[in-house]
Amino acid sequence: MGKKVLCVDDDPDIRLFVVTVLEENGYTPLTATNGKEGLEIIKKERPDLVTLDVLMPRQSGIKMYRELKTDDSLKDISVIILSGIARRTFLRSQEALTEFGSENVPEPEAYLEKPVEPEELAEMIKKVIG
Amino acid sequence: MQKILLPKILLIDDEEDIIRVLSMSLRSDGYDVVSALSGKEGLDVFKKESPDIILTDIKMPGMDGIEVLKKVKNIDPETEVIIITGHGDIDTAIEALQYGASDFINKPVRDEALSIALDRAKEKIDIRLKLKEYTDDLENMVKIATEEVKRKSDFQIKLIKSSNDGIVATDDDWKIVVFNPGAERIFGYSKSEVIGKMKVVDLYPPEIVGALKIEAESKRNNTALPWREVTVLSKDEKNIPVRFTGTILYEEGMAMGSVAFFQDLREIKRLENELINSERLAAVGQTVAGLAHYIKNILIGLKGGRYIVDVALDKNDTDKLKNGWQAIKRNIGRISDLVLDLLTYSKEREPEYENCLPNEIVNDVCELVEATAMEHHIEIIKNFDLSIHEVLMDPRSIHRSLLNLVSNAIDACTTDEYTDKKWQIHVKTALEKNNIIRFEVKDNGSGMSDEVKANLFESFFSTKKGKGTGLGLLITRKLIGEHKGKIDVTSKLGEGTIFAVQLPYEELSNTDKIAARI
Repeated sequence: MGKKVLCVDDDPDIRLFVVTVLEENGYTPLTATNGKEGLEIIKKERPDLVTLDVLMPRQSGIKMYRELKTDDSLKDISVIILSGIARRTFLRSQEALTEFGSENVPEPEAYLEKPVEPEELAEMIKKVIG
Repeated sequence: MQKILLPKILLIDDEEDIIRVLSMSLRSDGYDVVSALSGKEGLDVFKKESPDIILTDIKMPGMDGIEVLKKVKNIDPETEVIIITGHGDIDTAIEALQYGASDFINKPVRDEALSIALDRAKEKIDIRLKLKEYTDDLENMVKIATEEVKRKSDFQIKLIKSSNDGIVATDDDWKIVVFNPGAERIFGYSKSEVIGKMKVVDLYPPEIVGALKIEAESKRNNTALPWREVTVLSKDEKNIPVRFTGTILYEEGMAMGSVAFFQDLREIKRLENELINSERLAAVGQTVAGLAHYIKNILIGLKGGRYIVDVALDKNDTDKLKNGWQAIKRNIGRISDLVLDLLTYSKEREPEYENCLPNEIVNDVCELVEATAMEHHIEIIKNFDLSIHEVLMDPRSIHRSLLNLVSNAIDACTTDEYTDKKWQIHVKTALEKNNIIRFEVKDNGSGMSDEVKANLFESFFSTKKGKGTGLGLLITRKLIGEHKGKIDVTSKLGEGTIFAVQLPYEELSNTDKIAARI
């Protein structure tokens, strides 16, 4: 059994793509379609890594990321943001939330902008969790 | 008045004794007296001394009294001349009066007669002075009034001249009599080309001429035509947009002319156009950005699909191959939809009316989305009015509009943050009065904020974060508009949304009805 990686994305095409990349590289894939479901699976399955989309219905990746990184029992789980929006925009949104009095959260382990090549994604996962 | 208290008297007589006696007597009465011993000398003294009253003997050698009278009256007709005549010389006295003598006294001159004659003369001078004073006063008053009127009229002329608006006035024959610089700027004609040479028909557009003439015939006083936007033709044949108002001028109930005011709208129109252009550019920018994002998402799906297919082929994994192929097909479908949306949005399209069964079309739409709805645990509840029969409508417009609305309703449920809700979409049809069918799509999903509602029918406005083109509702509204229908929305954030579409239909012709029955 390889390391567990959770893919959180509302787009079924992306989930299928990420799952295939994970399987091809010897990881065990898990999937969730939004932030809320994602957190539930994280608590239950304790994955080694989460790939996270930013713009999702119900609970955005921005919110889920903050919840994950401010929960002492979960904050050590690595996160790769995999999003259509630019890294700059995501970081600015985090800065803005910090300014509004929330806790300061560290930057994600990696940030990949869609579209991402399968090799690129595989390499990044390997770099983060081995 | 001072002059009257001490009038100066000129005595003319060739007899030195008479002069001496009269002089003494008059001086003692307080008069200033000068004298001369002949008519000729008398005239010289008159010119030098300007006396108020002349007392002259009539019979003198050389220039006689009548001659002196004529000459004096010639020089200053206001001088009082009293003639001294011989006793009983009535004819001469009458002649003297005819030439303008003020009075005559007989020789020998008695003090009493003299003082009466002098008093009368003084009275006449007095009256004349008063009259002159009145006249001077009157002239002064007229002068002041004239100046005031002139000042006012100057002010009004300046006002008309400096007005930014074009002001054009005509006489009662519609001939132009006032044409201010504002009018010159608008019409391009100079004042001298217009005044007295042009009539309103040469300058105003026909609709204004018509409106003014109707107003003149109505004989309503003091009513200005309401402002309206019109286009006037300038000298160089350019169409100038203006705002116009005008009124008929009356004097004692009679039309005496007209006045028209023109506001130049060129600058305003230019700014308006600039604004529209910049808004259009901004819209194009947004459109391109929105579309790029949408297409990028499709591309991501296609690339992912290709990768999965590659992997599946390598491993001979039929299940994976099917999954990858599905992903590719799904994204090909998204491209087709986008292209179709863009075409529908960009083209004017007349509805193609056909015999159709509206309930069946709506049922087809529900079946199309059923799988997606079930996947997200959304229940679709159909409620069709069975009195709706086969009618003449555009089935494609109905299908497209309803599919958009039902898809939106599903999205409203899948994006709803209250996940413990039991989502339902009610799809309803109803026959209404005046050949109208009402289609209603009601969901209990996320609902819309006021901001979203305000932007609902804006082009390329999407709340679906790159997963929508922002064209759906725009197309829906366009199709409904082309079908002469109506779309209404009520929505509450967190509670849901109702879209109601009302479309008119036509009854089938009799032959169609028979055919439909077979």
